[in-house]
Amino acid sequence: MRALGFAARSLVRQPARATLGILGVAAVGALLFDMLLLSQGLLVSMRDLLEHSGWDIRVSAGDLPGRGPRVQNSLEVARRIAALPLVRSTLRVRMADAQIDRPSSTPIRAAFEGVSALSTTGADMHPPWTVTRGREARGPHEVVIDDRIAAALGVGPGGTITLRASCVSDRESLPPVRVDVAGIAEFPFAVSDEDAIGGTFEALQTACSGNVGDDADLLLVTSTGDSNETAAAIRTAVPDLRAMTNAEVVGRLQQTGFSYFRQISTVLTTVTVSFAVLLITVLLTVSVNQRLGEIAALRALGFSRSRVVADVLSESALIVGSGGLLSLPLGLLLASVLDRILKDMPGIPVELHFFVFESEALTIHIVLLVATAIIAALYPMRIVSTLPIAATLRAEVMD
Amino acid sequence: MEPDREDESFVKPGLFLVAFLAFSSLAVLHAQDTPPGILVSRQLAASEGLTVGSIVRLSIDAAGTHAKEFTIVGIYEPTPDPAQLGVVPREVRLHLPDLLDLTRPAASVAGTEFVSSINVALVHPDDAEGFSRDVNARMPGILARPSSEAAGSAGPFKVLERFHLAIAVVTIMASTVFLLALTMMLVDERRETVGVLRLIGLPARRVLLQVLIEGALVAGVGAAFGLVLAVLSEGLINAFFQWRYDTALVFVRVTKDVALTSVAIAVPLGTSATVAASWALLRRGGLRLARR
Amino acid sequence: MKVNDNAAHAVVDARGVSRVFAMPAGPVVAVREVTLQICGGDHVAVRGPSGCGKSTLLHILGCVDAPSSGTLLFDNQDVSGLSDARRSRLRLRHIGFVFQRFFLLPMLTASENVELPLSEAGVGKKERQQRTRELLEYVGLASRADHRPSQLSGGEMQRVAIARALANRPRLLLADEPTGELDESTGAQIATLLDRVNRDGTALVIVTHDSTLASRAARVLLMRDGRIEGEQRR
Repeated sequence: MRALGFAARSLVRQPARATLGILGVAAVGALLFDMLLLSQGLLVSMRDLLEHSGWDIRVSAGDLPGRGPRVQNSLEVARRIAALPLVRSTLRVRMADAQIDRPSSTPIRAAFEGVSALSTTGADMHPPWTVTRGREARGPHEVVIDDRIAAALGVGPGGTITLRASCVSDRESLPPVRVDVAGIAEFPFAVSDEDAIGGTFEALQTACSGNVGDDADLLLVTSTGDSNETAAAIRTAVPDLRAMTNAEVVGRLQQTGFSYFRQISTVLTTVTVSFAVLLITVLLTVSVNQRLGEIAALRALGFSRSRVVADVLSESALIVGSGGLLSLPLGLLLASVLDRILKDMPGIPVELHFFVFESEALTIHIVLLVATAIIAALYPMRIVSTLPIAATLRAEVMD
Repeated sequence: MEPDREDESFVKPGLFLVAFLAFSSLAVLHAQDTPPGILVSRQLAASEGLTVGSIVRLSIDAAGTHAKEFTIVGIYEPTPDPAQLGVVPREVRLHLPDLLDLTRPAASVAGTEFVSSINVALVHPDDAEGFSRDVNARMPGILARPSSEAAGSAGPFKVLERFHLAIAVVTIMASTVFLLALTMMLVDERRETVGVLRLIGLPARRVLLQVLIEGALVAGVGAAFGLVLAVLSEGLINAFFQWRYDTALVFVRVTKDVALTSVAIAVPLGTSATVAASWALLRRGGLRLARR
Repeated sequence: MKVNDNAAHAVVDARGVSRVFAMPAGPVVAVREVTLQICGGDHVAVRGPSGCGKSTLLHILGCVDAPSSGTLLFDNQDVSGLSDARRSRLRLRHIGFVFQRFFLLPMLTASENVELPLSEAGVGKKERQQRTRELLEYVGLASRADHRPSQLSGGEMQRVAIARALANRPRLLLADEPTGELDESTGAQIATLLDRVNRDGTALVIVTHDSTLASRAARVLLMRDGRIEGEQRR
């Protein structure tokens, strides 16, 4: 009987213990798997989101696009950027806080994105949303709204809404404005605790009663070729501003807001692996100590040291392997629960996920489990490999 | 030629007055020449090599438009902001008039600027809610709210609290499984002893009581040990992350509530795991237990 | 059924072997300068009071324990210089052990227990199964092949243990108190079986307190205080 078969029979000998060991590894393994998904999940998700937006460079006045001071004289800046040979199109984005009136209820808070496009290449441009029903907003009196606003107000394409927008400061109070709903759209960068409205710069002007000015929160750029070269060209053209490729934005986020999740995933990965090693070590050590007589007898019969050591290692591999297999579906289930909890965080785009499956995470998970099985078996392997046969046989008789 | 004695009594006070006037004028001139004082954050001072007394030029853009000189009169430690973890706080604090002066657009008239917010300290802080209502009613376009309600920024931390709680629940579940496995092994080690006790006539209830007491003791000692470990690692974790992010934020704090909750979970869990493992064993006959 | 073809030369040759155990209270000499030869087909019983070194001597002869001094030759080969792996190999192929406490693996059936040494020796599946059937028939337990040790009586377990010990046709079978945990009648059955094993060619050394078992041996060695004080031949 080979070591693995032998190990399986040894485990079956103590079914409750073996089951608990496997379940324990499964629970801990699920947490481990989730921490591995979390460590890169946000970055992978953000990278996907940025790349699917269709814009490959973001220009802003602050450290991170959309945060910090605004880009002043944005029309002139956009023209300068659009004129660069490596630039296909440029989109100015200005954001404002809006409140949509709701009869007999509290107003709906929303973020209003006003956009204005520039293209010297005649390329098609699309705003940072996707219309799912109706059509794109055109002109100063049309907007697109998200599904939640549409559902809350019972409004569809062709309807109207009344809104108030603050374009200068957080706490302005401006008169209400009626606008037409041209379409319903998906806003991938909309945050979970805030609804979204989109329209042209002119529509934003209307909503803010003309109080917009020439500032923009962000300029989105698509390049004709390599985005790094284009970003470099933009930096030369407008040295006061920051031009970041999608990769650079992700890199910046990695250093700042997202670093907490990487840190906690590292800490919890260490804790879960240590936990699993401890559990399996104790399980195996107790199991071996209870079978010393048998092991000494097998050694006396001619079983080699390496064979009895292999038996212990195989037992460890079986427990960790079985628990590890079970941990994958458990981990995915747990990840969906944790993801839902974390997505409630204010300021997080709805389309962003914290836990993203990547084959690299699965590979690391497997490697860590293998390491766990080996490390956990080290001490009990040492016990069996240094077992004094004769002394053990004598002790068993005396017992 | 010697000075006239009669002139001495007039000259001395006169000289003093001239000296005084000259000194006063010099003092006024010096005040006008010294740039206004500002404070800089420790991190900014360290990265730019600034010290108290350094003269710096501040502007609203990188081109240095309308730059003005300021004197660094102090270096401060910024209040750590959890929402800005990982962001190095390169900050400057100015007197409001200096800031408005610096940032006012050329076309604007002084006095027409706006500020983000006005902080108000009340004589009777308990009146905050009523005061806010009053201001909101009398001054449309202004939103006043008590500081305790400015918890919008605490939103992320409420979510993180739920996240940590979910992790803790999973950890406790995994620990419970481990605990059961361990106690089953420990109990199994003593099955012969238990078998002999049963054979000599001790009722199962008596043995179970002993097991319960032992389990509670072990769980209690274990919980206490765990607490000590937690307090020790609290310092280590905080030290590491404070060094890592160059911040004064506290990341882990073992409060009385946390300690009591941990013990309240650990002791019953440990005790009941031992009892559950023993119960399964005690259901078998004494003879079967005593046989190897 | 012959389980072994033996040659009448010394299978084991112990020359002045001693075994000293270092204890906190001082060294304990368990075996003192014992010189002994076991030839093919020998049937030897070792008797003596408790603590006289019988089991220790058995362990030395079986290459389970190394002597502190002296020389041990197995098939004219000095085993003292052998690595642990080679000694294990020697035991697997040439020496069988039967223990007082049987030491059957409880999670395996009787036939699986017997098959273990064959599997470890790399014997093919078909041949293993054939040999296992033969051995279980030899010990009279062919009908209990699929039973676990918990389903066997003490005597039956010991018979399975003997079958296991004979799996690789050892030249030497060492039994340490094989009837120690059995009643008289069962012990007699085991004694009869061991006789048969010896008649079929395997050298047999038994450590025993059981005078009936010892009386069946052709040579009885009397040990006291680690020495062989006398030998009786039948």
